[in-house]
Amino acid sequence: MRGYVTKRLLIAVVTLFGMSIVIFSLMRLAPGNIVDILFESAGYVDQADKKQLERELGVDRPLAVQYSRWVGEVARGDLGKSYRYDMPAWRIIKPRLPVTLELAFLALFFSILLGVPFGVLSAVRQDRPLDYVLRVLSLAGLSMPAFWLGMIIILFFVRALGWMPSITYVSPFVDLKANLWQFTVPALAVGYRSSALIMRITRSAMLEVLREDYIRTAWAKGQRGTLVVWRHALKNASLPVITVVGIEFAFLIGGLVVTETVFNLPGVARYLVDAILLRDYPVVQNLTMFIAVVVVLANLAVDLLYAWADPRIKYEKA
Amino acid sequence: MAQVRALDVVADTQILPIERPRGSALGRFARKKPLGAAGGILVLLLVGTAVLADVLSTHDPVRTSTNVLVAPGADFFLGTDNLGRDLYSRIVHGSRISLLVGLASTIVGTVLGGLIGLISGYAGGKTDLLSQRVMDIMQALPILVLALVLAAALGPSLPNAIVAISIPIVPRAARVIRASVLGIRELTYVESARALGARHVRIALRHILPNTMGPFIVLATAQLGGSILVEAALSFLGLGIPEPYPSWGRMLSIAAAEYAERAPWLVIWPGLAISLAVFGTNLLGDALRDTLDPRLRGS
Amino acid sequence: MTPLRRSVRLAALALVLVLALTLPVPAQAPKSGGVLTIHPLTAPPSLSPHEESTIATVQQVSACYSNLVYFDPAKKQESIDTVIPELAEKWSWQDNYRNLVVLLRRDVTWHDGKPLTSRDVKYTFDVVRGAPDAPVKLRINPRKLWYENVEAIEAPDPHTVVFRLKRPQPSLVLLLASGYSPIYPAHVPIADLKTTCVGTGPYKLKDYRPGEFVEYVRNPNYFVKGRPYLDGVKWVHIKDRSTQIAALQAGQLDVAGSGWNRTNAETAKKGKPELTVIESDSNVNDNVLINAKRAPLTDEGVRRAINLALDRKAYLVGPRQGAATFGGAMQPRPSGVWGLPQAEVGTLPGMGDPVKQKAEAKKLLAAAGYGPSNPMKLTVSTRALAIYVDTASWMVDQLRQVGIDAVLEQIETGVWHPKMTRLDFQVALNLTGTAVDDPDAMFFENYRCGSQRNFSGYCSEEIDRLMVEQSQTLDHAKRLKLVHEIDRKLQAEGARPILGWGKQYAVYWPRVKAFAQHENSIFNVWRLQDVWLDK
Repeated sequence: MRGYVTKRLLIAVVTLFGMSIVIFSLMRLAPGNIVDILFESAGYVDQADKKQLERELGVDRPLAVQYSRWVGEVARGDLGKSYRYDMPAWRIIKPRLPVTLELAFLALFFSILLGVPFGVLSAVRQDRPLDYVLRVLSLAGLSMPAFWLGMIIILFFVRALGWMPSITYVSPFVDLKANLWQFTVPALAVGYRSSALIMRITRSAMLEVLREDYIRTAWAKGQRGTLVVWRHALKNASLPVITVVGIEFAFLIGGLVVTETVFNLPGVARYLVDAILLRDYPVVQNLTMFIAVVVVLANLAVDLLYAWADPRIKYEKA
Repeated sequence: MAQVRALDVVADTQILPIERPRGSALGRFARKKPLGAAGGILVLLLVGTAVLADVLSTHDPVRTSTNVLVAPGADFFLGTDNLGRDLYSRIVHGSRISLLVGLASTIVGTVLGGLIGLISGYAGGKTDLLSQRVMDIMQALPILVLALVLAAALGPSLPNAIVAISIPIVPRAARVIRASVLGIRELTYVESARALGARHVRIALRHILPNTMGPFIVLATAQLGGSILVEAALSFLGLGIPEPYPSWGRMLSIAAAEYAERAPWLVIWPGLAISLAVFGTNLLGDALRDTLDPRLRGS
Repeated sequence: MTPLRRSVRLAALALVLVLALTLPVPAQAPKSGGVLTIHPLTAPPSLSPHEESTIATVQQVSACYSNLVYFDPAKKQESIDTVIPELAEKWSWQDNYRNLVVLLRRDVTWHDGKPLTSRDVKYTFDVVRGAPDAPVKLRINPRKLWYENVEAIEAPDPHTVVFRLKRPQPSLVLLLASGYSPIYPAHVPIADLKTTCVGTGPYKLKDYRPGEFVEYVRNPNYFVKGRPYLDGVKWVHIKDRSTQIAALQAGQLDVAGSGWNRTNAETAKKGKPELTVIESDSNVNDNVLINAKRAPLTDEGVRRAINLALDRKAYLVGPRQGAATFGGAMQPRPSGVWGLPQAEVGTLPGMGDPVKQKAEAKKLLAAAGYGPSNPMKLTVSTRALAIYVDTASWMVDQLRQVGIDAVLEQIETGVWHPKMTRLDFQVALNLTGTAVDDPDAMFFENYRCGSQRNFSGYCSEEIDRLMVEQSQTLDHAKRLKLVHEIDRKLQAEGARPILGWGKQYAVYWPRVKAFAQHENSIFNVWRLQDVWLDK
């Protein structure tokens, strides 16, 4: 087990190292000199000032020097400085973290709340009308663009029901009701899409378990259907579901990016989009790296959890 | 674990009772997989619209007019946008962009990923290890985030959008194909071919490649819907297909957000078009998976 | 203030008092208190107006600062006659408009408690004009050009400042009255002012979250007694136009409308008829940059054909939704001060019968060797922002109608200005807003040979000479004549074809009182010290 953990950790480190090179190179590929952005709001470019700035910011140094400096900063947990707003990126991100975390948490909660029971139901009623209805619904969830779902919800809720949450973020510790009023609908929009994925995995895992002999035996012995399903089957189907919840994390971040934008929630994911659109390269670089770290750590956690929960996994082959 | 992760866009499996063939293959498919057949019809509709866009459209999709924000009616089936362009004709022509970008990026991504998976799986050893790590790196970011960053770095244009969308597909394709190659490699006839002294390239091409076609088709169909969605999201955020190409995602970005209340049709129809196209490919992809690739069942 | 002007002011005041007493319904007395929640154009890139060229910064930071002089918020049309004192107690010209002497108020303190002195004023403008002996250098200095004519600034005592000019320039006072000319504190590092605000204005910065909001509270030590009325001002940023409308209708915003178009304003009003909608002219124009140095645009006939092909009436209905005015390089009258006579505007290229003009354009193109068998290929560049892309998409279609094979190229933020500066485009659609409705601000910046913001690369020695001449002309009528002469030449040569001048919107609840808008500038009305809430 220890060897397995070490190996997994090593892979994670190598992955992040590679990712840092990819992100760094991509940001250098981008059109326009990084320094040009600074002149954007001035409405002109002064070549002499530009040279001076390039020196000040060190972007005239060799790429290797710039790269190692950046890695050093990231390793120290320094998220760098926003060119656009001329302040430490961390100062911008810090108040935004609770927004994204709450949205992600609520969305995950809703996706499990919807996904697992419907997945089980769909499996138990395999190939009956209910199964078809649930499968179509879940596939529809995966087929809708997250931002469009958000737009439709806003159009419907705002117009028909007068739903209008606070336009600025309300902390749950200040006003829980207003906070939930603000977060429930966006979280449902993200959660619905994610629940589709969980439902599908739950269903197939359940189908497999339902075919196992001991379930058939239990059924044959006349135990009541529901009890068998929930006691035995779900317990055994929970492993793949855990895995998917882990994977879900990456999927969720994708959903948050557009959902925060559509619902005007001042979160980190929306800040990433803003930074990309404003070409605030240092922020894009660091935030992307930050997401990579989170995803890699989440995957690592899932792998370890999986290995710990299921001793059948052969560590050396994984 | 590896298989599960390879399916993170669309993952579904089904245990099927053993079937006895009867009737034509197509009819059998439709009977056994009504949802898949429905998906097939939707996909055919999408392809048909794209091919016949010039015939089906009633107006020039880029021609502006003074009929601004007209509600759906006899002259403009789905209404007009803020520059007086006919929404119906734009949606009809938009199918070309969606299909073109979706297909091109899916093919580029799956073929490239498939080749890497094939080589990686067949060669094994250090090559495998190295390519696996590279794939790990590429998967360290969510698809949309990677595509976003790529699109931003490359700048908005049709070819760049295709590149930005296809690259995140590569590692996912490589994983699936590698797994299936690993399975086939151990099969008796491949081993015997090797024992007979056949050259590696020949073995890979003659014996292994054809046997990975099943999972390959399944994968490509599943990714097609994903690609169309990513294109829509990129264009929505202003990083995908530039004007004047009528892209569905782009239609939803500026005009729709600005005039949502005054002209809800600008929000409803392009989004519905995207959803139906993706829904169709997903339904078809699911059914194809069950039919063509029994190995993936129960994964 | 001159004695004459003071007596006029007194007379006006007396008149107002008489009117107020005789009118049946007396004007409501302003109430104090309340926080005004308002939506700006966009989130500001920074809080430092001297380092930005966007209304977003000026709009959201003006409440914190003061100028030497400012435009009277209550007068809709800005001109030299509506300039009122702010930090300056009075000012006077000496030596035939060569020296401007400004006497400062003595009762002004910065938000951090330090007193304001002439040192702060000298510091501010030395830094902005990039004086060799300036104590610091602005990293980016967009308005250096405005103060090119300033030779020296002197501070003989703590409350006197003298601007010494190279040549007479009466318009300098207008530049000083702009929202782009606040006085900065000499004792605060200039880089800090990008993320915080230490001013002398009616409101103090409370909290600033980039991309989220800018929040102010009342400055109890504000030098204008009894102002401001509000307890605070909160600028909140919402990206989607439709969400902005919904937030206004729900009453979460008191004021919105910055950057809106007519449809947006109508939609908001339709949902909540009690909303007040103010539509006014504005000093922002849509203009076409035609790069005369790039083939095939080196041909004057081709340039003229493009100008003719763009049917201005279709522009009005399409991209501008019926809300725009037409004119030359200076903002059209009556809202603008310097615009060409209306009769002349009707004869400008693109204003005539669209069928005839398109035919003429085709003829010109044919003369240059282009036709159906050999269509001209043209790339229209524009910024990847909605307000630009809509108009540019319309342009592409108009050009296609005369047989030009036009395509649209969207240029990303961060690449746009470098590309324009390098003249790396064929035809581009651009938006230009000049802070002050004055020929000095408009011409020198956009049409002078070698100016950094002269994006069309137009250069004429004759025009340059006329520009300097009008700037020194003291008599208004004579100066107006010169300005018209310049504008006429610019339009005839197609230096930078103007499609039209857009309108601006303010939409607010009736409880918002004394909310001002100016018809010939969007930049100089954001002090908000007179605004009050009737709650």
